Amino acid sequence: MRRTLRDALIALAVVFGVGSIAMLLGHVSPVVGFAALFDGALGNQSELAETLLQTTALLFPALGVALAFRAGLFNIGAEGQIVLGGMTAGVLGVALPLPGPLLVPTVLIAAAAAGGAWGGLAGFLKARFGANEVIATLMLNTIAVLFATYLIGGPFKQPGAGAAETPQLPPAAWLPVLVPGTRLSVSFPIALALGAAIWYVFRQTVFGYELRAAGEAPEAARRAGIDLGRTAFTTMALSGAIAGLGGATIVMGVLHRFNTGLSPGYGFIAIAVALVGNLEPPFIIIAAFGFGILQSGAIAMQAEANVPRDVVTLIEGLVIVALAGRRFAAERRAA
Amino acid sequence: MAEPAALTLRGISKRFGSIVAVDGVDIDVAPGEIHALVGENGAGKSTLAAIAYGAVKPDAGSIEARGTVGLVHQHFALIERLRVWENILLGREPRAGLRIDRSRARAVVGDLARRHGLAVDPDAVVETLPVGIKQRVELLRELAREPAVLLLDEPTAALAPSEIDAFFVTVRALAQRGTAILIVTHKLAEVMGYSGRVTVMRRGKIVARFRTAETSAAEIARAMVGGEIPALTARAATQPSPRLVVRDLRAGTGAGAIAGASLHVEAGEIVGIAGIEGNGQTLLADAIGGVVPYTGELALDGESLPAGQSPAQRIARGIRIIPQDRRREALVLDWNIIDNVALGRQREPPLRRGAVIDRAVAGRFAADVIERFDVRPPNPKAIVGALSGGNQQKVVVGRALAGSPALVVAYQPTRGIDVGAATLVGSRLIEARNAGAAVLLISFELDEIFALADRVYVMFGGAIVGEFARADIDRGRIGALMAGT
Repeated sequence: MRRTLRDALIALAVVFGVGSIAMLLGHVSPVVGFAALFDGALGNQSELAETLLQTTALLFPALGVALAFRAGLFNIGAEGQIVLGGMTAGVLGVALPLPGPLLVPTVLIAAAAAGGAWGGLAGFLKARFGANEVIATLMLNTIAVLFATYLIGGPFKQPGAGAAETPQLPPAAWLPVLVPGTRLSVSFPIALALGAAIWYVFRQTVFGYELRAAGEAPEAARRAGIDLGRTAFTTMALSGAIAGLGGATIVMGVLHRFNTGLSPGYGFIAIAVALVGNLEPPFIIIAAFGFGILQSGAIAMQAEANVPRDVVTLIEGLVIVALAGRRFAAERRAA
Repeated sequence: MAEPAALTLRGISKRFGSIVAVDGVDIDVAPGEIHALVGENGAGKSTLAAIAYGAVKPDAGSIEARGTVGLVHQHFALIERLRVWENILLGREPRAGLRIDRSRARAVVGDLARRHGLAVDPDAVVETLPVGIKQRVELLRELAREPAVLLLDEPTAALAPSEIDAFFVTVRALAQRGTAILIVTHKLAEVMGYSGRVTVMRRGKIVARFRTAETSAAEIARAMVGGEIPALTARAATQPSPRLVVRDLRAGTGAGAIAGASLHVEAGEIVGIAGIEGNGQTLLADAIGGVVPYTGELALDGESLPAGQSPAQRIARGIRIIPQDRRREALVLDWNIIDNVALGRQREPPLRRGAVIDRAVAGRFAADVIERFDVRPPNPKAIVGALSGGNQQKVVVGRALAGSPALVVAYQPTRGIDVGAATLVGSRLIEARNAGAAVLLISFELDEIFALADRVYVMFGGAIVGEFARADIDRGRIGALMAGT
């Protein structure tokens, strides 16, 4: 609890400290810059809906990342898992001849399976050959993005279109809109429910217990009958499935087609979200909302206060460095 | 004492949260003196040593030392991936220009080791060494700094009897050269044999001070536990029947390998494995636990335990291992007692209810262990990493003995814990035996084996080289077999 509070304070200090310095260097008053950012993110109903949309897009991969981190697995492959999940949704949503009530769940499950296979592959490589999951997931990211780029530029390209993207999904494959007149879909409550479910899994289930034991004390876990290899595989597969599901909700709820621009790095920002939330789902939800504000307010800040939106990218990167670095140092001390 | 003290502590107090670890302690150690600091688990001895060393800042009180202070930790503070000489000379490596002069470094360490009678290979990588040798490296590292005051925190916890004698020859030689030595220990035999003065702590306070020549082990022990030492539980007559059979077991390679060990343990029997550390004991425990590959035959109650079986399957067969390294191999230090007591049984009803862990059941298990083993503090939600070593061990042993196990392998079950806790652990092992469990007790301390075992095997070079029924135990003969003669 104290660690959570401290991490949150560090994150806030980075956001306002670094943000202010960057704005001052650009001769903009931080008060004006942040006012534009918050106004752009929370000023009215449609802006709030956009912020919640960003929150949702970050929440899925952040929950996946947290699941893996709790098992001691540094999954930085959420970006590739999002892309594969999104691509699966974009392709199957057009191709499957199913009625609406069946189409949406089928496509969501298939997308989760695709992301899960990608995460599970890294888990398998670790369990079977001892391959470092950081390296494996990082390389699998590149493979996923390039593979998707190839598919939408070739086999699945929308006939006649100039841009490399899949055809538009039929409306039967769209996620229902939650607030009319906005793009906020049922993916938001789905993500919240998933957060609650993962919290329950961590605290109450045998699987969550074994996963945390494997992460905190692998040697003791092994001697207590926990199969570390199988835990690594299952956890990475689940982690990838959650990120893949997130990719599908962007395609089915927002873009209604797949292109490789579906994620402006959600899979990486999710690492910061998960760490700011101290890997505990309730706090991750709050952290995702905070980063959602940054993401959606960035454009308004650029337009109204003339602060480049790259400042937000800079802030997000430094939050990752501050928190991941601190966590890494703490683990080195404990070892 | 005419000479001024080398180390003087006055009015030292330290709290951790709501726990008062050290409470207004005065102590001094003179040059050339061997001063023993004794007390139960959690009495505050290790904290006091850390304060004297400067690693922990006291809340109140003053520390004065004439010269440098060295500390040999109970839990080793070595860099596992570096070589012995690199650990010992860290930060003070002899140089040749910009490079480290390796040959001189080896010579310095070799000379240091010879001078103190502590044989080590300067080029060995620390993580490959058994616990007893790591201890030597730790000691040599401190000796290399020529400390005026040397603090030893449970220094002999992992040493074999012959190593202990050699260790105290070294310590005495150091004292004769004027080093002030404060030794934190549980072992009263060592206190009586080697110390000049004894200070006894209980619950953070000093409760007695003795000149060793003018007291007795019984008097010190009474001061430590604040009453009479509980007697070991009587051993009941049991009807032994074959439980564990080990035939021609082979595992590992090189030092510490098992090369064709055969033995058996019956239900209702405690069998001791006597031997010096590094003669295959670790692999024996690991093979029975199913955590290392091996060849040969293991059988429980006449049914084979195939080599490919997982630790989970061994646990399901009623096999419980109390591992040697409780902090790394047995506990999740960031978890509370409830969750640690569940570890290993998380898949068995009643702890598992469907996909969920029943925390109410786990809480009852924890309360049971806390009560039967007198765990302090008696709070099931206490974080295990914050407990003293002895209380951590009580949790590990309590968990292993819960629910009538078929076979218990206890590997150094009283390592580094005080007399009261060790007696309690011994009594509970005998109770498990009386209830029909087979107990395999692996220990480097002969006294522990003689106190508990119905039968003793001697292990040397990865094989069983002798067997003694309780009535025929011959200390001299066992000692000779342990040494390979």
